Amino acid sequence: MNKEFETEELASVSRRDFFKRTATVSAAAAVSILAPATLLADDENIMHHTKWGTSLGYEVNKFPYGLPSKYEHNVVRRTSPLMSSAGDMHAAISMTPLHELNGIIVPNGLHFTRTHNGVAEIDPNKFRLMIHGLVEKTIVLTLDQLKRYPSESRILFMECPSNGAAEWKGPQFGSLQMVRGMMACSEWTGVRLSVILDELGLKPEAKWMLAEGSDGSEMSRTLPIEKVLDDCMLVYAQNGEALRNEQGYPVRLMAPGWEANLCVKWLKRLEFGDKPWYAKEETSKYTALVASGRAIQHFYANETNSIITSPCPEKPWTDLKTGDLVEIQGLAWSGHGTIRGVDISFDGGKNFVEANLKGLVLPKAWTRFSYMYKYEGKPLLLQSRSYDDSDNVQPTVNQEKKVVGVEGVYHRNAIHTWAVNAKGEVSNVQIRS
Amino acid sequence: MFKLDRKSIVIGTSAFAASAFLLTAVGCSASNSTSANAASAGTTGTADVYAIKNKTAIDGGVTYVRAHGVDSAYRYNEQITKGVSFGRPATANEIAAWDIDTLPDGTGLPEGEGSVEEGDELYEAQCASCHGEFGGGGNGYPQLTGGNKSKDENGVVITLKNQRVYGSTDAPKRTIGTYWPVATTLFTYIRDAMPYANPKSLSNNEVYAITAYLLAQDGIVIDGEEMTEDYVLNAEKLAKVVLPNRNGFYPDIDGLNGTDPIENVRAFYADRATNIGAGTRCMTGCKDPGGIDGKTEASVVEIGYEMSDISPAYSTARDLPPEVEDKSISQAEKMYNDSCKLCHASDNMGAPAVGDIGTWDQVMVKGLDKVVHNAVAGMGGMPAKGGNMDLSDADVKAIVEFMVDSSKNKH
Repeated sequence: MNKEFETEELASVSRRDFFKRTATVSAAAAVSILAPATLLADDENIMHHTKWGTSLGYEVNKFPYGLPSKYEHNVVRRTSPLMSSAGDMHAAISMTPLHELNGIIVPNGLHFTRTHNGVAEIDPNKFRLMIHGLVEKTIVLTLDQLKRYPSESRILFMECPSNGAAEWKGPQFGSLQMVRGMMACSEWTGVRLSVILDELGLKPEAKWMLAEGSDGSEMSRTLPIEKVLDDCMLVYAQNGEALRNEQGYPVRLMAPGWEANLCVKWLKRLEFGDKPWYAKEETSKYTALVASGRAIQHFYANETNSIITSPCPEKPWTDLKTGDLVEIQGLAWSGHGTIRGVDISFDGGKNFVEANLKGLVLPKAWTRFSYMYKYEGKPLLLQSRSYDDSDNVQPTVNQEKKVVGVEGVYHRNAIHTWAVNAKGEVSNVQIRS
Repeated sequence: MFKLDRKSIVIGTSAFAASAFLLTAVGCSASNSTSANAASAGTTGTADVYAIKNKTAIDGGVTYVRAHGVDSAYRYNEQITKGVSFGRPATANEIAAWDIDTLPDGTGLPEGEGSVEEGDELYEAQCASCHGEFGGGGNGYPQLTGGNKSKDENGVVITLKNQRVYGSTDAPKRTIGTYWPVATTLFTYIRDAMPYANPKSLSNNEVYAITAYLLAQDGIVIDGEEMTEDYVLNAEKLAKVVLPNRNGFYPDIDGLNGTDPIENVRAFYADRATNIGAGTRCMTGCKDPGGIDGKTEASVVEIGYEMSDISPAYSTARDLPPEVEDKSISQAEKMYNDSCKLCHASDNMGAPAVGDIGTWDQVMVKGLDKVVHNAVAGMGGMPAKGGNMDLSDADVKAIVEFMVDSSKNKH
């Protein structure tokens, strides 16, 4: 038996004992932090030396690539057979643990992942990027050559247009992570495509760009030139380090604010043409069937959206007592521009108050919102509703359903509702008819 | 702080860009409303956060002014980048090797041919295990064929109108025959991405054959000709396929009737309220009627059947993970690392260093039992058990043996 592990076992037993012995006292203490200190039991975590304070820690470079604390082992991506074909996890999605995140940057190991033919592992020495078609000069770049171009960094969200797709017909998942975890936000670094194209020379008849991946699915999509020249990038870094395999190492396309599917991973080729290509992932998939029986194609921007991350089913208010002042917070984002504000409702959308934005407020990036709330131990129907500088306001379930129906799969951005019961437990519900 | 009068800004001029810089520099303290935009969104008058260049971008969103080293929240290096050039031109052979995509009009389809009958055999051997008999699905992977292709009086494929909340119990069927717009996509996808576990392993002839087989299952007629068993598909014929749902998609990206595809897309996304759904910023007493009659008051709908097959299982506990035994090193080495290495890794502290076999040879002259006894009891500058009183005597013995053995190995 591992000595270290034994010690930890003993420590956890004593913590259990602590809670047993102090249960009644804690209840008294919970009334107020001003309760007379004489009523309180002494906390053994304070009264005794700790293991880590009485022994050597591990060596400075034991983990040349650092790891989270072993106590954080539950902070991981999660998936479900529903997010795959027949439970096959090569063409599937794993979800970001939004409930455990802080700020607007997602650690690279927690970034949601969608693959159509498994995660490709590309040898960067064999990576080649070809740009051709309706350009005056074609080009083949190695990774090192691409990195020679002037770089820019942008904090941008990345969202699968299927985020929330399981819930068109009603709530299905009992967690924030599975409800909305098909997204992340990172600082991405790479080269603006306009810089490269400026030198290659786009021909006037070039209207569309095909972006093609080199993985087994040869994932490809068509984008209009206007977007390509406005803000598209060839990115090779996320949060300061190389892209993870799961995010398209060594190079993926970044189309800020647009479907993550358009941000083609494991990029291999860009071709410029005068007509759209009708690749598979822009015809049989990634088109949104609406109630009329026709489907929206070339669906680009992820619409303005928001969700409350605290409280949520994984992080309920069960430890609160009446009168506690607590922060409600969440994430808002819009692929159309910058979040202007977020409103919060406590009664399922009948009345709203304005929340406050906090931290960086950036275009096409996660934006945190915050509202201080005095907890009353009463049932609530908590909602958030975002609006952006492109005049979008997040729709209700009914407003969205009325226009697009419930079979579209993609681009679901209806206002989300958490039901908070009298015990402070949180569950996933929808306000709809 | 500096206050900016947004109303005085003329969009598209350098003055605007300069103001954008100031806006950034003072931390966005502008307070006046861009009233027209705010009003249409029903906002209470919040200013645009960053200087907007275009409110009618192709996706319905905004684009930001990028000038004088400022682009929305970001600074950038405004020195000229024109002339930066790395890499080399692509050779004709390289382009030919990679540029094998296809367009709906058949452009890019390779030479070759395959019959429905050949496709049947290939499909059974390589595709049916996932996509089901005749492409009919049932194994958890996409259903490729089947579904009712009949259309209503407006030319809409009827199955695609199924909505599973308004009375319909059937899902809309999205197969090649009912949903896919063009057949060249089918060829290209099979060639590049199938079979799933062995993509790019089929010859062009085989891809034509499987494409022919799948189209035949959906009763596709090419140029008036039915696809019988001996029907042979090639590039010319595939280009002529018109799938039933060819016109089932919008906005019009093909510029039919001489329209500009880009402007079609722009116009579509500009009209969000009627095309893809948009909210309103009601603040009090909001009503949210819905239902097929547009009158039914909304109610609270709870999870009916929870999807709870989650991996890894939900937990927010901050406990120790299940122990995974590190088999790469012995238990003795682990204890040495944790408790003894600090002093014994080198002779800096006067202790016999692991790896210094000469010193260990001198120590071991006393015999193992005596050395272990000294280690347990303490000796010279070394406290009992090196100060690690949670080590048993047997642990100490194992560590001593490890240190001696390691020294021999390193020698």
